[in-house]
Amino acid sequence: MSHTAGRNQRIALIFLLPAVLILFVTTIYPMVYALWLSFRNYDLSKPFIPRIFVGLANYLEILTSQAFFHALLTTFKLMAMTLSVQLVLGVGIALLVTQKLPGMAVARTLLLIPMMISPVVVGLVWLFLYFPELGYLNYFIGLVGLGPVPWITSTRWALTAIAIADIWQWTPFIMMGTAAALQSLSPEPYEAARIDGNSRWDVFRYVTLPQLKPVLISLLFLRAIDAFKIYDIIYVLTKGGPGDATEVMSLYIYRQSFTFWRMGVGAAASFVSLIIITVLITFFFKSMQRSQVTQAR
Amino acid sequence: MTSSVREKLLVYLLLSVVLIIFMTPIYLILVSSLKPAALMFSKPPAFIFTPTLDNYYDLFTMRPFHLQILNSLIVALGSTAFSLTVGTLAAYAISRIKSRWINDVAFWILSMRMFPPIAVVVPYYIIFQSLGLLDTPLALIIVYSTFNIPLTVWLMKGFFDEVPEALEEAAQVDGHGVFATFLYVTLPLTAPGLAVSAVFCFIFSWNEFLFALMLTGSKAQTVTVAVMSFWSSDAVQWGRIMAGSLVVLVPGVIFVLTCQRWLVKGLTMGSVKG
Repeated sequence: MSHTAGRNQRIALIFLLPAVLILFVTTIYPMVYALWLSFRNYDLSKPFIPRIFVGLANYLEILTSQAFFHALLTTFKLMAMTLSVQLVLGVGIALLVTQKLPGMAVARTLLLIPMMISPVVVGLVWLFLYFPELGYLNYFIGLVGLGPVPWITSTRWALTAIAIADIWQWTPFIMMGTAAALQSLSPEPYEAARIDGNSRWDVFRYVTLPQLKPVLISLLFLRAIDAFKIYDIIYVLTKGGPGDATEVMSLYIYRQSFTFWRMGVGAAASFVSLIIITVLITFFFKSMQRSQVTQAR
Repeated sequence: MTSSVREKLLVYLLLSVVLIIFMTPIYLILVSSLKPAALMFSKPPAFIFTPTLDNYYDLFTMRPFHLQILNSLIVALGSTAFSLTVGTLAAYAISRIKSRWINDVAFWILSMRMFPPIAVVVPYYIIFQSLGLLDTPLALIIVYSTFNIPLTVWLMKGFFDEVPEALEEAAQVDGHGVFATFLYVTLPLTAPGLAVSAVFCFIFSWNEFLFALMLTGSKAQTVTVAVMSFWSSDAVQWGRIMAGSLVVLVPGVIFVLTCQRWLVKGLTMGSVKG
């Protein structure tokens, strides 16, 4: 039997090979290419000019430029805004839809729809809502005596407008993950806590929340990774503007590469992003292994 | 947990507010796509009006939108078929190999899905340009497979883990080879997994925008880029944007309504058990 087992393992390796090779060629190669570009001066609009080696000049330039750090800061600002609201709203809605009442399954299903909509369409419908002079959002908030707010035309509101669209699309993600986790919790600690006469808030704070923590951390890391990559919604709503108010990292790279045609600078910024994302991914994997251990218990 | 009538009422009240807020944008796409231009921004919003299919008529006659639907279908189906074949094989290997390093390989594959597209779009552009593949569906099929293969591997690994190995050993004792066992014994048992992976790959490819924008021109343009282009033209044609948006969001909505219980697994990469 062990002979067959050894042979099976070798055959399994052959099964693995195509995926590993393809991913190597289609992802590692472009990343190495980006690294190579980041040491050169390259203008894609003038393809016949040689790609001169410039050493660390591109890295020095971005690391001393205000625009780069502004983009980094804006990315993290947007991340903080969206993640915090999504966490609170998502957990809150999850607590609502996991009540054992009729109609909850339908509500839960409907709330999942935003996640599966193309970000371009999300951007376009929010553009429709925010649209200067005409959009319905100012009309709606006007009904309760607020506004009008210059959503996408003022540097003060543009990032909030982007955050709202992202919160609308991705709060359901936290809701979905939390609801799934809530339903897999064992009921005993609750009964004990209820019998002891604790208030509902105390039960949530000291019984539910500690049990949810590993799952919530995993969910937040996944959101953080996505938030770092955000592009489509901003491209549709503001293209990074007005001015540089919503110029997050992807938009900065886009602008360097395709507006100023400075591929080398764009590649250097890309590489710094890759490093930051790698750190986030590593933390996610750690949290994922931890939450799987907790859930297996 | 809910006991009194008042608490039940409160739950329903809060949930109604949540539902109204979250469903309004979707409702607006549907309704606006059926509105004549004059009522597009009417205040208060027109709830009762004679619906018109003019926007859809324009969508398919003023631009070859059916060709862009076809492009999106070719790209999405092509990438799905390719990723499913390659990803399923790898997932089976990862599920069956008993070594420590295989975990690292699995995480390496998953990490490939998480890198920012903008960081590699310039290299892709240059590579596809030199291969003469710019503005072809093949370029997008290749690029989309870089995130669809990892997705398939992680989803299918979960399904293969649940197939008892004793079943495979029995088949092998009966004289079936490893590949025959995989094809005729294991794979049919994971049919739901294959279906779910396929639908996920399809939706992610169908919805993708950034690569489609950068790597296609007029020939291989997909629906997402086409809908966006109604905005960039001289006058914003909201009617066509909304009609096109509705076409784009249909597959995703159908997916949510029919197989929502798989969403948890697919979107959290197995970090939350559904």
